[in-house]
Amino acid sequence: MSDHDHHDHDHDHHPEAPSDIEARALALESLLVEKGILTSEEVDRIVSMYEHDIGPMLGARVVARAWIDSEYRHRLLQDGPAAVKELGIGYPEGTRLVVVENRPGAHNVIVCTLCSCYPWPVLGLPPTWYKSPPYRSRMVREPRSVLAEFDLRLPESVAVNVWDSSSDVRYMVLPERPAGTEGWSEEKLAAIVTRDCMIGVAVPRVPAEAATR
Amino acid sequence: MHDMGGMHGFGPVKIERDEPVFHERWEGVVRAMMVRTIGRYYNLDEFRHAVERMPSHEYLRASYYERWLYGVQRLLIEKGVISSSELAGGHAAGKTAAPARDREQAPALNSRFRAGDRVVTRNMHPHGHTRLPRYARGRHGVIRSTYGPFRLPDANAHGDHDEWQPCYAVEFTAHELWGDEASSTDLVCIDLWESYLEPEAKA
Amino acid sequence: MSVDRSIAYLEGDAALPRKNGELVFAAPWEGRAFGLAVLLSDKGAYAWDDFRDRLVQEIAQGDHPYYESWLDALQSLLMSRGVVSADEVSGRAAEYAALERDPVF
Repeated sequence: MSDHDHHDHDHDHHPEAPSDIEARALALESLLVEKGILTSEEVDRIVSMYEHDIGPMLGARVVARAWIDSEYRHRLLQDGPAAVKELGIGYPEGTRLVVVENRPGAHNVIVCTLCSCYPWPVLGLPPTWYKSPPYRSRMVREPRSVLAEFDLRLPESVAVNVWDSSSDVRYMVLPERPAGTEGWSEEKLAAIVTRDCMIGVAVPRVPAEAATR
Repeated sequence: MHDMGGMHGFGPVKIERDEPVFHERWEGVVRAMMVRTIGRYYNLDEFRHAVERMPSHEYLRASYYERWLYGVQRLLIEKGVISSSELAGGHAAGKTAAPARDREQAPALNSRFRAGDRVVTRNMHPHGHTRLPRYARGRHGVIRSTYGPFRLPDANAHGDHDEWQPCYAVEFTAHELWGDEASSTDLVCIDLWESYLEPEAKA
Repeated sequence: MSVDRSIAYLEGDAALPRKNGELVFAAPWEGRAFGLAVLLSDKGAYAWDDFRDRLVQEIAQGDHPYYESWLDALQSLLMSRGVVSADEVSGRAAEYAALERDPVF
């Protein structure tokens, strides 16, 4: 123990015995690994994924609430950060969030041609394609071709509104609630709202098995 | 090289399904370094400008977090936080306490334009940083909403941190930006600072 | 991963500790405990709602730090399913506590 005294600020080293709770967590994991139920690498992957990629589920909750509560929807469109905080989701002070709503004749999609601005407090970190030169250069010029590459084909009767996030304002798309979801719980609705729906390169779809049930 | 809106020749969007947040651990480290140092040693506009100063051929070849690493490293050296010799040697010459984050409040300013006003963007080509994309210069649009005031990036990236301006979401038709071949219904909305805009001359 | 949505719906006292929307783990073991519970549900060892119910119960029972309740809920659920026994866990934990095993996460 005294050998390690000069290291006592460095928690990466484990000079001391683990606490009771820590020992119990270690015990559970090692037993499950020994039983062949999981591997430590799988646990690593889950932890790092959730530490950084918790975002899109938060945005999905916001969308689902807006779908079932029209007054909430109104507040969300008026003041994005305040409405997000209402759901107990943290939103950093001093940054703005503008939620743009898809309607039957208008579809919204987000891009940042100058860098890669992205509403990370509600969507997590952006996917690589969002930050790539093809997406950044083409979304403003030929949005319909780019959307088709994401398997989203819109009729000419639907106007595409592209939002180029060039300032301190961050944008998020509020998609339309799809038909066939009447009576669904908020949680079930949130499950069909993907990250891509909130960037605007996809629209929520009702899974085949849910539609026939 | 960063001003990519409308550029040709990049091909289709490469969509990676179920991609990991960080492809390699060092990417997470770079992100963490940027998040810990921004607002203390440099601001977002200075960071963007540093990344934009990456030589074009490197910018295009570099991955996203390689560009971030370039920006963070360049700024930390320029601001005297680390030295080139420390970087080369791999050891810090000493410890310094991190300064507090800048949390200055925006001043109250009158906005020159309001929603529905018709404006035309300036045709400007500054050497330094700007957030007026090239594809939207000299174009006619309509004010959709007013934000801010925000610090003017063109000044804030270059040491003048006291220049605040209202910022507007300005709507342009695809026709106005890209000509008659573009869809007649589509729109592009861009956030633009007040000094990028002039009122449209009355017909 | 469908369980993502369920995690977003841990609400009230059962809500995960976060900072700016991202999960925060005060110590490595908290992250491990979190990862174990999510992974086991993904693998079908139990339904997520069963874990959530136990977590809510554990939190309601005592004034323990969040991830202690989490680990208690996970352990009791695994014991009730016969995946691990109380003796196995306490025996193994004692080995770690006595430094008979290398305590590296």
